[in-house]
Amino acid sequence: MSEVEILAGARPIREVNEAIRSAVARGDDVVVKDTRSRHNLAIGLGAGARVRLEGSVGYYCGGLNCGARVEIQRNAGWAVGEAMSDGEIVVNGYAGMSAGTSMLGGLLHIRGDAGPRCGVAMKGGDIIVEGKIGYLSGFMAHAGRIVALGGAGDACADSLWGGEVWLGASPKSLGVDTREIEPSADEVSSVEALLESRGLRRPEVDWRKIVSAQRLWHFQSRDAQAWLMI
Amino acid sequence: MADDLTEYEFPFPPATEDSIAMRDGAAANRPAGVPESYDQGKSARWSPKAIADVHAMSQLGRYQLRGFNTFSTRMPTFDDLVFVPASMTRLPLEGYRESCETETVLGDRPGLVSNPIRLAIPIYVASMSFGALSANAKAALGYGASKAGTMTCTGEGGMLEDEREASNLLVYQITPSRYMLDLEHLRMADGIELVMGQGAKPGTGGVLLGMKVSERVARMRSLPLGVDQRSTVRHPDFLGADDLQVKIEELREATGYKIPIFAKIGATRPRYDVAIAAKAGADVVVVDGTEGGTGASPEMLLDHTGIPTMSAVRAAREALDECGKSGEVSLVIAGGIRSGVDAAKALALGADAIMIGTAALMALGCNSPRYFEDYEALGTSPGRCHHCHTGRCPVGITTQEPELEERLDVAGAAERVARFLTAMTMEITLLAKSCGKSSVHNLEVEDLRALSLEASAFTGVSLAGIDRPFTW
Repeated sequence: MSEVEILAGARPIREVNEAIRSAVARGDDVVVKDTRSRHNLAIGLGAGARVRLEGSVGYYCGGLNCGARVEIQRNAGWAVGEAMSDGEIVVNGYAGMSAGTSMLGGLLHIRGDAGPRCGVAMKGGDIIVEGKIGYLSGFMAHAGRIVALGGAGDACADSLWGGEVWLGASPKSLGVDTREIEPSADEVSSVEALLESRGLRRPEVDWRKIVSAQRLWHFQSRDAQAWLMI
Repeated sequence: MADDLTEYEFPFPPATEDSIAMRDGAAANRPAGVPESYDQGKSARWSPKAIADVHAMSQLGRYQLRGFNTFSTRMPTFDDLVFVPASMTRLPLEGYRESCETETVLGDRPGLVSNPIRLAIPIYVASMSFGALSANAKAALGYGASKAGTMTCTGEGGMLEDEREASNLLVYQITPSRYMLDLEHLRMADGIELVMGQGAKPGTGGVLLGMKVSERVARMRSLPLGVDQRSTVRHPDFLGADDLQVKIEELREATGYKIPIFAKIGATRPRYDVAIAAKAGADVVVVDGTEGGTGASPEMLLDHTGIPTMSAVRAAREALDECGKSGEVSLVIAGGIRSGVDAAKALALGADAIMIGTAALMALGCNSPRYFEDYEALGTSPGRCHHCHTGRCPVGITTQEPELEERLDVAGAAERVARFLTAMTMEITLLAKSCGKSSVHNLEVEDLRALSLEASAFTGVSLAGIDRPFTW
């Protein structure tokens, strides 16, 4: 196993991804240089793949990841790690809108801030944001955990179906149909263990845990007979 | 004269009020000349339905919600168009003997898509989710379509194993809610459809009431059991045309440029939307007219949003022509197609392929006259049922209740779907051959005439006889 350098530059993205895939298939670690904020880098990689992108990336970086470890040296554009089912993506800078969109599993770790709609439609897995998350983060998420140490923007966790948003600082406002609850000691230690696995220790944090108030789970008129009136 | 004041007096004694009211010989409770409608309340505005709607909404405290499709009586229909077969100027083909090409290829872009979708016929089964439909219904549609040489589409509830097994060709939908969307399932698909809207309720997300969110449905959608699922309408990770282009590239990267990417829109502004989808890189654009069906929708959206299928086809085809994408990007049309006749007219207006949803359910047995007492319990009867939203489908199609689902015999239903698709195709080829066409894809606007000013104005098809389109 060795480390292979792949130049993104202005090459067609299909060619760059093919080079990444064949290096991964050979068992090599991949370093992508001259990333130029290109879209669609390192899409759909599987377990065992290790890719480091030296620079900033555009949209959907690490999208549909199934087990790869992807590290972005600087910032990521929209929807980094979208629909990821397994694996680990680290963004060392900031992430744009919709980071971790509809992800099903795995871990997305953002060291800076994340833009609006972080974890939108999320179905599982964990998102850790060391900074804060933008407005409408967690919008209509189904399951999984978003942990934002730096707090959140407006309408945090709006219309959550399920899942949890953990905040280490105040949100600007909570979204509709949310409920802030006191986490149990076990839950706090589980979040702390997750953070510790990433080398983060925050024993002093007064956690705010946001969950669904479940009022939007049903139309208010729930009588099944009522549906027959039409 | 000031209103009804008059100074004039007859030169004879004034009449009695009974005499003026013509009460002699009249019904006791109504003077002659007072119309019967006073009793019957024949207000055009406050029809019995309008009154009942207010009563229902004032009890429910929300909009009405139901399945099926629009009840609007104001839609133009394909019945306003007729074919003008070959006679002296053109030569017909032998309708009962000569062959007519029906193969339909979607996403055939050499050098870009390595596995375009090859259908034996120009019709396939529309996207209807597992959740809206029972697993038996999905499987029967899949097997029926496979036998007829065509395909089905998953709908938004994720890819059901039963359907993947049944369908030789399966398009996998990506809706804004992204239920069960991962790489594994993308790579199991023969095509991917990005859904930007649907005909029944363009601009609004899907609805699945709690009665149908069973354990299996909830698991596939990662939803709490029994919730009234109301889906998002805006995609979580792209907004406009430029983003869509990047998204399509991502999907190609994820699937190795093997399978075509579809973009589905509800018919609202097809001239612009189709051009944008084509320019953004979709291989197939699907336009779903307002007559399109649904498992559940706020009722007023069915009747008051979107434009009719017939009017959308021409605009969609002209849009592809105008941006030079005809022949490169395929156009699929859906929404209220009932027969091979409707489908042939849509092909002539410019479609490359036709999707059927409700018609395919009818072939499964939707609204068939059986289990009368169960229709009655829903307050309806066979032929009028539109209660897909309740999950109590008397014939096992739009339900998640095991005892109802059992009523749908997969083998029998699959055979009916296959036969219906075959019959529809025979209708199309018969019409095509009468127009002298050796391929159903050679049907053209010139083969049609409009029977109404409205149909002509909507489609640009020449009026019957005068052979000129209605213009202003």
